[in-house]
Amino acid sequence: MSAAAEKQLLRVANVRKYFAFTKGILFSRTLGHVKAVDDISFEIRAGETLGLVGESGCGKTTISRMILNLEEPTEGYILLDDEPIHGLEGEALKAYRTKVQAVFQDPWSSLNPRMTAGRIIAESLIVTKWGDKDKIAARVAELLKQVGLRPDQAQQYPHEFSGGQRQRVALAAALASSPKLIVLDEPVSALDVSIRAQMMNLLKDIQAERNVAYLLVAHDLATVRHMSDHTVVMYLGKIVEKAPTQALFDDVRHPYTKALFSAVLIARANQEDEEIVLQGEVPSPLNPPSGCRFHTRCPYVMPRCSQEEPKLRDVTPGHAVACHLFD
Amino acid sequence: MSDSAETILDVRDLHTHFFLRRGVVKAVDGVSFTLRKGEVLGLVGESGCGKSLTALSVMRLLPKGAARTVQGEIVLDGENILKRTPSQMREIRGRKISMVLQDPQTSLNPVFTIGDQLREALVRRAPAKLKEIIKQAVAALRRVDIAAPEQRIGQYPHQMSGGMKQRVVGAIAISGEPEVLIADEPTTALDVTIQLQYLKLLKRLQRENGMAILFITHDFGVVARMCDRVAVMYAGRIVECGPVKQIFEAPSHPYTRALIASVPKMTGTRGRLTAIDGQPPSLMNLPAGCRFASRCAHVEPRCLEAYPGTTQIGADHTADCWKIGSI
Ligand SMILES: Nc1ncnc2c1ncn2[C@@H]1O[C@H](COP(=O)(O)OP(=O)(O)OP(=O)(O)O)[C@@H](O)[C@H]1O
Ligand SMILES: Nc1ncnc2c1ncn2[C@@H]1O[C@H](COP(=O)(O)OP(=O)(O)OP(=O)(O)O)[C@@H](O)[C@H]1O
Ligand code: SF4
Ligand code: SF4
Ligand SMILES: [Mg+2]
Ligand SMILES: [Mg+2]
Repeated sequence: MSAAAEKQLLRVANVRKYFAFTKGILFSRTLGHVKAVDDISFEIRAGETLGLVGESGCGKTTISRMILNLEEPTEGYILLDDEPIHGLEGEALKAYRTKVQAVFQDPWSSLNPRMTAGRIIAESLIVTKWGDKDKIAARVAELLKQVGLRPDQAQQYPHEFSGGQRQRVALAAALASSPKLIVLDEPVSALDVSIRAQMMNLLKDIQAERNVAYLLVAHDLATVRHMSDHTVVMYLGKIVEKAPTQALFDDVRHPYTKALFSAVLIARANQEDEEIVLQGEVPSPLNPPSGCRFHTRCPYVMPRCSQEEPKLRDVTPGHAVACHLFD
Repeated sequence: MSDSAETILDVRDLHTHFFLRRGVVKAVDGVSFTLRKGEVLGLVGESGCGKSLTALSVMRLLPKGAARTVQGEIVLDGENILKRTPSQMREIRGRKISMVLQDPQTSLNPVFTIGDQLREALVRRAPAKLKEIIKQAVAALRRVDIAAPEQRIGQYPHQMSGGMKQRVVGAIAISGEPEVLIADEPTTALDVTIQLQYLKLLKRLQRENGMAILFITHDFGVVARMCDRVAVMYAGRIVECGPVKQIFEAPSHPYTRALIASVPKMTGTRGRLTAIDGQPPSLMNLPAGCRFASRCAHVEPRCLEAYPGTTQIGADHTADCWKIGSI
């Protein structure tokens, strides 16, 4: 890895995000807080990909939104190139938005329905006065081709595309301003496997060319395996395991990660039922279990698990796990 | 499954087109398939090939405006529902046939709580006292693994994660226990452990109530786990259809073969993924011959001249390709 690639681009340090849970509209009462993200730290180096996986509702999109500066952390801070990202205003905020772009899990809500695909892709180029009309049009055509669409589709509106095609329009728009970091929140789950493969190869090529970093949120573990250098596994607002991707996939340690990996469905007929089915109800982030948050469903639970919260620590160099089995 | 199994849904030569000022988009252009009682039929294929439009045509829920079913028959339990009036269709939907839309955003109304929307669906099925209905709504959410359902019913869609919204939509669709369920990528936003539990729930409903499912997905692991047969669609037509085991172990159509080769793996090297080069034809300007010809390694002159007829490969296995048996 080159010296430039060693540099930390993004640091997420002890970040928490609590949402007030209210009842009533006019005279709302706060009933408690959803601890969507609870003391999370990780880094992303320039030009690398960090994969973020975990149970639905564990806080992945909330982290993405904080990194995009769409949401403020309740506690902790996020730094890009050693500069805090929250509290930016005016030109500085505009500049931040060109450096960090996103492709979200629902392309339906993220694309403006009144703009053509071409206009959506050109938006950041127009805002930053990147070039004249013809230059921008040529760039839009090139971006459309890069993501596997036809240049004539620039005239189509979002509702005229299929789900997967809309996702590619969103990626073209994210690439337009040549950002340093792209937050990819399930960018390929709506695509068929062939276009998914094309898109993953494309993302890798762009990364190699421009040294852009990715935060990749995905439910498909095979996608994470192919794409990311490091992988972080979350459960109910906490990191439970963090390691270089190859090390993690070779040697899964945390009981939750084991359950997750065992639930991966393989494309072969007549597969045996070897899955670890998690027992117990999915716990509520409103009232998370004491001690280890996984203790209500963990097959290895011990008495101390419900009392003491396990700390995230290295079990082998670089491979960190939060579980009392490894104390 | 034997040929004698009773057909519940028979789609014959379906054509659904968009009539735009720019031209006619032939999104569904000659689709035929049957769905048998208690069977799960997978529908896979390139993003944008017309899977969702096929499903929406069957539901008679085409997007307002330019879309029209111009040819074909949709026979549900012996009657051609293309002949039914809109009010008769409302009766049929929810009770006999129900659909989980690909886009949870359009199925959930942002200004109503999750509880209101579930209640509406439940009341439509079987009117009861409010207290009883709320109890049923809570139970429906618990069935799809939503934590703290009593509190969640008071929340609005934007306060839930992507996967939670998708499960709410799923809960609404199965609450009426329909005879036919069309599930359009119902698990793409779910992590694999919750996906597995949701699939098990669908399987149970299918076994207990004899529900038939048309399952649209990009995930071959899900196909392997859920489906009895699978239909492969390309550019508005079904190009291959057969039992899951045969399609996985001996795919016949060059497109099916290429698609299966693109699946990312959980083991082996992490290098580049295989993808299908080139692009599908524009649905506004379909070629006279085989629609896959521009990307097919086996193409020969007759492929460009005429659309290949359907070849019977096995008892329950068909494909549309001129060169079946010689490649
Ligand atoms: N605006 C909000 N108001 C209240 N609660 C919220 C809000 N946004 C998110 N939450 C809650 O925060 C938790 C984490 O949600 P988040 O969207 O980050 O999950 P996720 O990991 O992205 O899940 P998924 O995989 O299903 O997309 C959930 O319990 C969710 O209900
Ligand atoms: N309102 C519309 N106007 C014009 N064309 C449309 C419209 N809606 C969809 N289309 C086109 O119809 C085709 C079929 O769309 P459909 O949503 O059925 O695809 P799909 O197979 O479900 O794809 P995906 O896997 O990406 O969801 C697409 O190529 C799309 O561009
Ligand atoms: S700390 Fe205890 S409950 Fe938590 S994962 Fe480890 S063994 Fe299981
Ligand atoms: S008909 Fe010809 S072009 Fe089409 S899939 Fe078969 S061999 Fe390829
Ligand atoms: Mg999310
Ligand atoms: Mg679709």
